[in-house]
Amino acid sequence: MSPNLLDVENVNKIFTMGGLISRTVNHAVNDVSFSLAADKPEVFTIIGESGSGKTTLAGMILNSLAPTSGRILFQGRDLRDVRSRRDRLAFMSHVQAIFQNPFDAFNPLKRVDRYLFSAAQRFTESRTTEEAAERADEALRKVGLSLIEIRGRYPHEMSGGQLQRVAIARALVSNPSLIVADEPVSMIDASLRMTVINLFKKLRDEIGVSIIYITHDLATAYYISDRLIIMQKGKIVEGGDARTVLAAPQHPYSIKLRQAVLSVDNAWRDEPFADTIPAVVT
Amino acid sequence: MITELRPIPPSVELKAPQTAPLLTVDRLKAYYKTQLFGVDREVRAVDDVSLKINRNEIYGLAGESSSGKSSLIKTIAGAIRPPFRVVEGSVRFNFKDGERDIYKLSPQELSAIRWSHLSYIMQGSMSVLNPVRRIKHAFADFALPHVSVKGADFTRLVERHLKRVHLDPAVLQAYPHELSGGMRQRVTIALATVCSPEFIIADEPTTALDVIVQKGVLSMVREIQQELGSSVLFVTHDMAVHANLTDRLGIMYAGRLVEEGRTRDVFKKPLHPYTAHLISSLPRIGDEAPKKGLEGSPPSLADPPSGCRFHPRCPLAIDICHREAPQMVEILPGHRAACHVAQADPTRVEAVA
Ligand SMILES: Nc1ncnc2c1ncn2[C@@H]1O[C@H](COP(=O)(O)OP(=O)(O)OP(=O)(O)O)[C@@H](O)[C@H]1O
Ligand SMILES: Nc1ncnc2c1ncn2[C@@H]1O[C@H](COP(=O)(O)OP(=O)(O)OP(=O)(O)O)[C@@H](O)[C@H]1O
Ligand code: SF4
Ligand SMILES: [Mg+2]
Ligand SMILES: [Mg+2]
Repeated sequence: MSPNLLDVENVNKIFTMGGLISRTVNHAVNDVSFSLAADKPEVFTIIGESGSGKTTLAGMILNSLAPTSGRILFQGRDLRDVRSRRDRLAFMSHVQAIFQNPFDAFNPLKRVDRYLFSAAQRFTESRTTEEAAERADEALRKVGLSLIEIRGRYPHEMSGGQLQRVAIARALVSNPSLIVADEPVSMIDASLRMTVINLFKKLRDEIGVSIIYITHDLATAYYISDRLIIMQKGKIVEGGDARTVLAAPQHPYSIKLRQAVLSVDNAWRDEPFADTIPAVVT
Repeated sequence: MITELRPIPPSVELKAPQTAPLLTVDRLKAYYKTQLFGVDREVRAVDDVSLKINRNEIYGLAGESSSGKSSLIKTIAGAIRPPFRVVEGSVRFNFKDGERDIYKLSPQELSAIRWSHLSYIMQGSMSVLNPVRRIKHAFADFALPHVSVKGADFTRLVERHLKRVHLDPAVLQAYPHELSGGMRQRVTIALATVCSPEFIIADEPTTALDVIVQKGVLSMVREIQQELGSSVLFVTHDMAVHANLTDRLGIMYAGRLVEEGRTRDVFKKPLHPYTAHLISSLPRIGDEAPKKGLEGSPPSLADPPSGCRFHPRCPLAIDICHREAPQMVEILPGHRAACHVAQADPTRVEAVA
């Protein structure tokens, strides 16, 4: 049997750092396990409480943060063994990240097009600057931007949504098999959001890319996800088929989460915020 | 850590303005003038925008990504730096202790009204927290000079306020990187509201929050707003937040305000085809229908399309749209839109929704 694309096995992350954390050990990720099959590309969604360890978990999957215990395998290989420069580069061409808050993800002193060029040079066959520029432009056009538009610009010279789209484009350049997307559409308008979400769908269906989609937006999660987990305080409290979970959550936290979703449809009822369970359309 | 949530009171009727508007933006134009590889380039991010915000109201701003929302907000907050500059128009506040024309104030006068009269939560502002300083220092730097209490009373005030945004006061001892995205976002919201300003400007303040915490933060925003009778200008792409929180809603496209009205009216009966599309593209839990983004690419603000800037992507475009830019006109009571077709026959627009 060929190995899974990704195995997350009983992973824990405990922060014991100075300041706030020194007094209370912070169990940011608590015994998390799940797998993504290699032959069944999917959108695997993580939703959950703010501070429940989603970004920390993403960091471990991206091998930029080591688990305190447990292990993560990518294509059957323990990430702890991915050490050498060559191995890391190969790993990065397969697994790409879109980071939460694009304002943090880009160095303010570095032109944003540089990120795309270096991705193109590192991860694609591009040998010349022209080829690299072409790859960059291709990726940018998929997210409603173009190289002409962003060339020579620094992060502060771009809008939030433009930066977020550059981050997505950068992740697309290398033709990865797994994309870890941490809140990738939080800062773009509802229309473009659907363009990007549909692009994820297309990547999954046509190229076989799997996507770990971390979001607070339950409506897009419902629209695009195959499976979904809900996290609270570092633990998975519920998981399964995305539409089943979102339509009829079982765990008390999931139920609370589902109830708190604001919707356009019931905004103008007499008591739009009454904490009753909204009728779920199925 | 999460305490119980107070429901947000419904925002049904538009409160009749008792006094002159708190904010009047008049024919505002603000451009970025840059040089790129020796070529001059002018990005017309705010292009002839007029709007009024009343006392005691929450005004929402939505619209296309890169349509100039953050730029508009920067000009309103008087937070502009070269190469961005105001080319024409004015921004006037009518604060309780007198009128202020933002672009006639000295830098000292401007900083005097910051935080106490006007506070501004910048987009992505989690990153403005100084990474090597603990959170408590941010409060001491920004808020302490503007409140009357000092010392232990100040600390108590801050701690009480942090609890309102569902944060443990222990975060005061933390460094920014030790907090999650959502925790940092709440810290900045707490910073901007702790001095009880008359006018609160918030640019995407809740993008990193889970829906439970978001609801709590929104109800806090509304509570503070009602307690103080202050006004809020709230920018977000989350249309459900607009529907539930804001009294009036403005929609921007390509540097222009293209529609404005009572939030409910804008949702129920959009008058601009862009708005109609935006609303119809919203996914819903339980709705399996495929949703599509707009065809075509967003316009460049350095070289915007002629006439109506939406015409290359508009399903209703007619001849005149290519040539003449539509003006904002009140089509229905309190409901303005800049669209030739809607101005001739407002029922036409529903068709695209
Ligand atoms: N470098 C760090 N040092 C110490 N504690 C950290 C560090 N990074 C994260 N934490 C803590 O770990 C917990 C989980 O944080 P994480 O960023 O993974 O949450 P999240 O689920 O991504 O939240 P959000 O939805 O707000 O982005 C939080 O309590 C946070 O304070
Ligand atoms: N410092 C700058 N120099 C040049 N152009 C800039 C600068 N800052 C912003 N722009 C441009 O101005 C336009 C409007 O940007 P703005 O940030 O106001 O958009 P926005 O509506 O807030 O978008 P978003 O929803 O994506 O945050 C964009 O085309 C952007 O690239
Ligand atoms: S003015 Fe014309 S192009 Fe512009 S939105 Fe209206 S119908 Fe469409
Ligand atoms: Mg996070
Ligand atoms: Mg913005």
